[in-house]
Amino acid sequence: MSEVEAKPKANENPILFVARPMATAARQFARSLVRPSTIVYPFERLEDPKFRGQVAVAPGKPIGLGEVWDNYRGVHALNIETCISCNLCAFSCPDLCIDMVTVPGGDPKHPKKCPQIDYGKCSYCGFCSDACPEGCLTMTTRYELSVTKRADMVYSPQRLNEVFRTRLPMSPIRLARPANEDSILLDPPLCIGCNACSRDCPTECITMLDIPKPEAKPGEKFPKRIWKEPVINDSDCVRCGTCISVCPKECLFWGTRK
Amino acid sequence: MAPLTLYTVSNDLVSSLLTALGNAIPNPVGAWLKSPDLITGLSVLVFAAILLAASMLNTILLIWWERKLLGRFMDRRGAMHVGYAGLLQNFADGLKLFRKNTFQPREADSLGFYTGPAAYMVTSLILFGILPISSGWNSGALPLTLLLALAIFSFAPLFIFISAWSSNNKYSLMGGMRSAAQMIAYEVPILLAVVAVVIVAGSFDLTTIVYEQQNYWFWGPLVVALIVFVAGMLAEMERIPFDLPEAEAELVEGWNTEYGGMLFAFFMLADYLRALVGSILVVLLFLGGWTLPTWVPAAATSFPLAGIFWFMLKTYLVFGLFVWVRAALPRVRTDQLLRIGWNRMIPLSLLSIFLAALLVTVKCLPFLGCVPSPGS
Repeated sequence: MSEVEAKPKANENPILFVARPMATAARQFARSLVRPSTIVYPFERLEDPKFRGQVAVAPGKPIGLGEVWDNYRGVHALNIETCISCNLCAFSCPDLCIDMVTVPGGDPKHPKKCPQIDYGKCSYCGFCSDACPEGCLTMTTRYELSVTKRADMVYSPQRLNEVFRTRLPMSPIRLARPANEDSILLDPPLCIGCNACSRDCPTECITMLDIPKPEAKPGEKFPKRIWKEPVINDSDCVRCGTCISVCPKECLFWGTRK
Repeated sequence: MAPLTLYTVSNDLVSSLLTALGNAIPNPVGAWLKSPDLITGLSVLVFAAILLAASMLNTILLIWWERKLLGRFMDRRGAMHVGYAGLLQNFADGLKLFRKNTFQPREADSLGFYTGPAAYMVTSLILFGILPISSGWNSGALPLTLLLALAIFSFAPLFIFISAWSSNNKYSLMGGMRSAAQMIAYEVPILLAVVAVVIVAGSFDLTTIVYEQQNYWFWGPLVVALIVFVAGMLAEMERIPFDLPEAEAELVEGWNTEYGGMLFAFFMLADYLRALVGSILVVLLFLGGWTLPTWVPAAATSFPLAGIFWFMLKTYLVFGLFVWVRAALPRVRTDQLLRIGWNRMIPLSLLSIFLAALLVTVKCLPFLGCVPSPGS
């Protein structure tokens, strides 16, 4: 086998073996003297205008300043004024991190409740903002959430509203809400006309209409009730189900209107 | 007027201070304060304190310099928050180490465990003390400074091995053995490369060697010796690519695995002090020391402390070369290390001795000028 001579490889030349990495390091040094690739994060950030176009992130449509992706899901922004307290965000949350807490602004009998989000539990799935019928709970591109106390991870509605007021770029991504063909139907014999559904409906699409009191036959006794029945305006209804949950007689149910 | 040296400066300082104090205080205390013995003793102490402060300051600055350079090599920025551009970061790190508890393993040998780092530190400090930084720096006109420096330099494997062995840790012991083998293997080419310089300069005195380089610095004609010396120094300083004794991937932290707190800081400081001394030796032997070539305008060398300034500039640039090597090259294996040492470096250093002898015989080189005749 000795006639087959091993071809000397370039990296076995001792001078090249030393000189080539030295040259590479020197080139790197010269390039890095101008500006190192490392970004000194808390003092500089990728969204700074001076990094625009220099950052090697995957192509995405930039929204607002810098290069944060347009489908980024960060901290929520809540517009308290347009929130209708429908509870759908808390209902849709898979992590159970949304609590509806009372905020000032409602009447005493019918307090206004807005979502409070615990970011210690939140998985940033975005279901809440998808479920929000009024578009008042959206996700922003803010990603800085470091806190020193666990309690600070809970964002009250007021804090979420402050996020909204900073006018951060909103994530425009919103899944189309699944078309809910179901409506809320009434089982008339059970209804007692108590007005709870109409009172708690966040969109005020339930009106109580008078119904005629039937003639009592001898021997027949009517239940004690108010002679009114809820009528639900399907075009205004957001299908939040609040009326079903507040109904004392369980006479409202999901169904397809004939 | 006697030439101004660091010792005469400290002597003047101490004697004027003590004389003023002695005149103010009545005898016999005043007379005792003015006695020449006391003045001599105190000025030696002040001299030593200045040397200690200079060595520690330069060592810590050297660590900063390495961190900054290495940061740029690695596309980072290095230390940048404590002090201007992170200058005080290493002082903060040192203070942190100073506050930390030092402990010893239960089975360790106390004597070796504690004397090892101290002796390592002390020998490194002596090294800095005997090297001339500029013409007025070192008062001791030792005829054999270079020999003394290299002799003290070669103490290190002994103390490293003592501290590694007494740590009672297999990784420490392996690191210590590697360190001893490596240092002894690279002593030989270093000494042979130095012999080439000594042949050309005709003296073991570092000050004389520096002044012999007035026509041309020795790195040009003795480039082979320079390469051997730098490679040997890299091995002596245990820096990448010859940092086998503390190969983190294999031996936790090498021979100082069991050391923490201030003892670790001793090792760290002594390591960088030896790196500083190695850079200083390169500057003294090959780069003309504190002198500049004759074509440089006189204004560059006439400002106060110009010698120290140019010397430290050269030293830091030479250390930058070591950092460059560290950033570029991978660590070698033990067998490769020893093969490079015995098979490549020693023939190269013998070649450099031959070239030096040739240079002394020929006396004059084209483009470079003539070697001053030894002893003149």
